[in-house]
Amino acid sequence: MQDRIKRIYVPMTETGFYILFCLQNEMHGYNIGQRVKQMTGGAVTISPGTMYGTLAKMEKDGLIRFVREEEKRKLYVMTELGREVLEIELHRIERLYKNSKGEYADGR
Amino acid sequence: MADRILFRFWTIMDYEEEEQFLREQHQNGWRFKRYLLPGFYFFDRCTPEDVVYRLDFDQAGTGEKPGYLQLYRDYGWEYLFDVNSFSYFRKPADIIEDDLEIFSDNESRLEMIGRIYRRRMIPLMIIFLCCVVPQLIIQSNNWLDRGDVGARAFTLIFLVFFMLYVWLFVHCGRKIRRLRQKYERDV
Repeated sequence: MQDRIKRIYVPMTETGFYILFCLQNEMHGYNIGQRVKQMTGGAVTISPGTMYGTLAKMEKDGLIRFVREEEKRKLYVMTELGREVLEIELHRIERLYKNSKGEYADGR
Repeated sequence: MADRILFRFWTIMDYEEEEQFLREQHQNGWRFKRYLLPGFYFFDRCTPEDVVYRLDFDQAGTGEKPGYLQLYRDYGWEYLFDVNSFSYFRKPADIIEDDLEIFSDNESRLEMIGRIYRRRMIPLMIIFLCCVVPQLIIQSNNWLDRGDVGARAFTLIFLVFFMLYVWLFVHCGRKIRRLRQKYERDV
């Protein structure tokens, strides 16, 4: 089951990646949207419909969990499974980056 | 009451036209107030303004609605109401550099098409196959066997239903294909 989730989620979409990345800390949807805008200098925006749908899906798949509610806003945080998925994805991105700079695993 | 009442027919797959129509009305000084019935619009006079309208289809489950609407409100969207499981939102378009879309990737646009298909088109197909078609066959057989007024009337009624459903499936099927092509191009 967990392996299936990992296969589905990696490689991640930009939306998925940034949401999961932000949820290393407790946050609600709009917070995440603002944070992503700042982090990427406006290059990545996540609109409310997409935000809501992605959060709901990730919660259902067990990558994030609901923590508490603050004035109708739901706060989420990453789960252990979410952390594993994020790590796999980060390694993948690192490999892509290194390879693109001419650094290869076999050293050639 | 309202300052103006309009009628316009649209099906569940024409939501983008609906958004565009409401925006144009607002640009011409008619603010959408509510529906009398789906298709019958009530408008109020207002100062012409460029306001973007957006429709989302049935995303939040029961009990999830307050949080869902709060998220849209945080993003600056005014929530109007739900009609036919569509949630109506609007936002002035002149806010500089503001996000005027409710979906930021094509994946979520395709998911909305999928939701409409699962929750509206499939039930309609079931009604069509399990009710309209059998009834049409039964009633037309009655007409042939007995030829009474009741059987004729029912045959004609179900024939009209049959044609309406066929038209709807063809129209919506085409629409779904066109929308999918549009959004799948750069997923």
